[in-house]
Amino acid sequence: MNDWLNFSSNAFIAAFFLYCAAFIGYAIAVAGKRWSNRDPEGHAKRWGRIGFALAALGWLAHLAFFFTRWKGGGHIPTSNMYEFMTFLGMAIMFAFIIVYLIYRKVLLGAFAVPLVIIIIAYASVFPSEVQPLIPALNSIWLKIHVTTAALGEAFFAVGFAAALVHLIRVVDYSRTDKAGRRAQFWTEFMLVVIVVVIGFLVSVFGFRAAGYEAQFRQETFRIDLQGQGETIVQTVEYGLPPIVAPYNSEKLSMDPFLGLKEPLFEAPSWMNGVNAGRKLNTIIWSLISGLILYGIMRLIARKPLAAVIHPHLDGIDPDDLDEISYRAIAIGFPVFTLGALIFAMIWAQIAWSRFWGWDPKEVWALITWLFYSAYLHLRLSRGWQGTRSAWLAVVGFIIVLFTLIGVNLVIAGLHSYAGV
Amino acid sequence: MFQNTKCECGHQNPTGTVLCEACGNPLVDDLPPDSPLEMRYDGAARRSQKQNPDLIDRVWNFFSSVKVAVWLIVITLIGAALGTIYPQESSFVNLDDPAQYYKDTYGTWGMIYHFLGLSRTYESWWFIGLLVMIGTSLVICSLDRVLPLYKALSKQQVRKHLNFLRRQQTVYETTLQTEPAEWVEKFARELKRKRYRVWIDRKDGMALLAEKNRFSRWGPYINHIGLIVFLLAVLARAVPAWHMDKYVSLDEGQIKQIPDTPYYVKNEKFTVEFYSDDELPERLKGTLRPKLYETKATLYTCTADCDDPVKDPVLVPVKQHNIQVNSPLSYKGLKLYQYNYEERIRLISVKPMLVDKTNNRSYGPFELPMTDPPLTYKAGPYTLKLSDVYPDFGLDEQNRPMTKSRDPNNPAFVFVVTGPGLAAGGEMYIYFPMPSAENKKLQDQLNESFRKLGSNSGRFAFEVNGMENVSFSQYTSTLNVRVDRAMPYIWVGAAISMIGLVMGFYWQHRRIWLRIDGRALTLGAHTNKNTYGIRAEVAAALGRTGIAVEPKALDNRRNKR
Ligand code: HEM
Repeated sequence: MNDWLNFSSNAFIAAFFLYCAAFIGYAIAVAGKRWSNRDPEGHAKRWGRIGFALAALGWLAHLAFFFTRWKGGGHIPTSNMYEFMTFLGMAIMFAFIIVYLIYRKVLLGAFAVPLVIIIIAYASVFPSEVQPLIPALNSIWLKIHVTTAALGEAFFAVGFAAALVHLIRVVDYSRTDKAGRRAQFWTEFMLVVIVVVIGFLVSVFGFRAAGYEAQFRQETFRIDLQGQGETIVQTVEYGLPPIVAPYNSEKLSMDPFLGLKEPLFEAPSWMNGVNAGRKLNTIIWSLISGLILYGIMRLIARKPLAAVIHPHLDGIDPDDLDEISYRAIAIGFPVFTLGALIFAMIWAQIAWSRFWGWDPKEVWALITWLFYSAYLHLRLSRGWQGTRSAWLAVVGFIIVLFTLIGVNLVIAGLHSYAGV
Repeated sequence: MFQNTKCECGHQNPTGTVLCEACGNPLVDDLPPDSPLEMRYDGAARRSQKQNPDLIDRVWNFFSSVKVAVWLIVITLIGAALGTIYPQESSFVNLDDPAQYYKDTYGTWGMIYHFLGLSRTYESWWFIGLLVMIGTSLVICSLDRVLPLYKALSKQQVRKHLNFLRRQQTVYETTLQTEPAEWVEKFARELKRKRYRVWIDRKDGMALLAEKNRFSRWGPYINHIGLIVFLLAVLARAVPAWHMDKYVSLDEGQIKQIPDTPYYVKNEKFTVEFYSDDELPERLKGTLRPKLYETKATLYTCTADCDDPVKDPVLVPVKQHNIQVNSPLSYKGLKLYQYNYEERIRLISVKPMLVDKTNNRSYGPFELPMTDPPLTYKAGPYTLKLSDVYPDFGLDEQNRPMTKSRDPNNPAFVFVVTGPGLAAGGEMYIYFPMPSAENKKLQDQLNESFRKLGSNSGRFAFEVNGMENVSFSQYTSTLNVRVDRAMPYIWVGAAISMIGLVMGFYWQHRRIWLRIDGRALTLGAHTNKNTYGIRAEVAAALGRTGIAVEPKALDNRRNKR
């Protein structure tokens, strides 16, 4: 590894910890307002400023990571999952800084910064070494397309963060009617999903730190395009203790974990995609650890998590949050259109001889775009502002994430691709 | 709904008007009383709100509804998503029996998927129908609104009704401490500094209208025009003459006509490179990671004898390009893309010697190209006449020579040698230029059987002296040939669309109205987006005229809560 790359990975670690520190600063700003002997306004302002300064420093370290990796690796680091997700994190931070400079709402940082932390932690799940470019990726349009698309998505992410704050801000725990309960349930559900994602990260990094390994030999039967059946034998490696073994597989080796010496069951036969069993196992682990984590938090708090956060948000006007969320999406929409659709079409035209080929990734970019255009049109009529619009912003960002990650993991999972 | 369209200010409005065209007073009673006015299209009447609609009006009304548009968008979105569950048929190069394939590969669900036609979602009538409906909706919806909006914005009255001002999103009321005329001048100056255009009506008490960035209101419509151009261009790609999508496979050194065009393309050389181990990270060492695929290509155009079966076409080179994956050859709308390659050794030409085994003398060499070989050759005093060519040599059931295909996989040549000391009819020999033990054996056996039949005396053999006398192709490169005459319109549509989006989203149309009745100042302001920004701007301008007010206090929604 050369010096540039060494420096780069140190900068990445620095960025990560600075973001974590920034989050703590923001959390104190938001949660500490009611601490005794304090002027709440002054407190929030001071800690908010500290949080922002740390986040900005973290972003500078992140930029340093990016450019030194570019220099050391010889090409722009946006060509695999690790590089793309770290870039997305950087872009979200940039979008947050822009929106913060317009609206100066401390609270936004308390939600946008942890989102960035989760995203770059997720990036680190993937192999981080620099890989030389294959001919299909060796194009200036790779740089242009990927960076602008990610920037558009980053603004959607900030719109999502603001929408989430909005939802927690307006959820009303005194209501017992059906609609009120539904709002309470779904708001809490969103937080559970986020905790499950954290559970995923905790289990992957926990077992990786412990050096856990298991191996299976899997036979898959496949029919190729000529109609010939063929059997492929491959080794599947697990980094998490196998609760589920791959379909039609045989254990080669397995570290015991808490008395678990054998997989508990085998993946169903329709899950025969490459690494489908391992992906199912990862999902199960994420759910288990996420739900345990959530259970512990509930035990400590003794009320729904949204109800814990809710009272700290009363300093901000829901209409402002609605506006911030909408504005972030409105800023992002043209950028996304340009990056994810137009530049993608230009590149596809040059590299693959057709500007559009209905490839799943392309289709999902189109779906994302159609969804946000529906969001914008719905906002033109006043019924779709506030809470409804906030839910759309949340769903929109879920679609963005599915396009970025899910398509590779689930749909392309039928074909191939990276994954944990 | 019966509606009185004559406003109290005396202006006669068309039916369907929501806010009086002149003074802005609300004309319909069923507006929610305590929320800001709905300012879409400035409350102007639209065609789709006509009474007693006929059939055309009904179709118009259907497509002019944004609600219908959103439904169309959402249905298209869901349809597009369904198409990604399993791979589309079009993603396979050749799929003989799709039904069987989906059933075998994806089981019952695959069978249902194929049966429902979802394996061809994007070519299906319903999907294309949805796109056409979106296009129709775009046109009608935009026309229905842009004309009234244009009219409303180009004849604005400065003095507005108090109801209109008090029911904007941004509102401020106060009693002036200073001389109204003087204050208005000062306020107008502040707004001009913020690049507002300002009109002042001094007739009965002061009234003011300030406006900026009106052009951004046209953004959505320009965007829609761009989308229409784009959609039309997409549909135009179905015109056969506008579109070509063919594949040409070329050995190195080979030249071929591009079907249905006067163009010929030659593959001068194909290169494939892989990364070496020291360029690869630990985990990938030992794997073949491609670095470069490149076809050195020359494009020719035929200038004469193009369709003459007897004469060779006259070719003139017009373009030379090293075609790589991200760098096609492009000439007058014709594009050649690197598509695929195959490692396949093929001879291009050889220069054998004719060896006389009786005295071990060799004659020649003579040049023998594998494609379109000439009919006669000279080797020393001897003349060779080509009597038969088998590009892909094989034996049929009766052990007779034949060619398995027209591809030069293993060519064989049958020559008749004439010259001094030979019978007048000459002697017949077969020659396999591809060097392999099997060919050598076959060649000897066949020549031996010719001898037994009396066709030759066994005197001659062929020999190639060294690799410098062999030129061969290692790779066959497949190029994708494309013509897409709709592309320029696609890009123009996309560019128009982008311009519209930028106009609509990065600028906002802002208007501020105020009137002073006695000393009572009433101010209302409206923007189509970013109310935060306009509040800040109004508060700042007021502040500079000596009226200190928090931006937040101007928010009409807040005051009503
Ligand atoms: C299905 C057909 C469509 C119809 C009928 C339609 C109709 C409309 C209408 C009436 C407006 C309001 C313009 C105004 O403010 O006066 C609008 C705005 C807009 N439309 Fe469409 N539209 C359609 C499709 C699309 C699509 C596919 C896009 C994709 C980008 C799009 C993008 C926009 C944007 C960005 C705006 C501005 C929204 C805003 O100002 O917040 N439209 N559309």
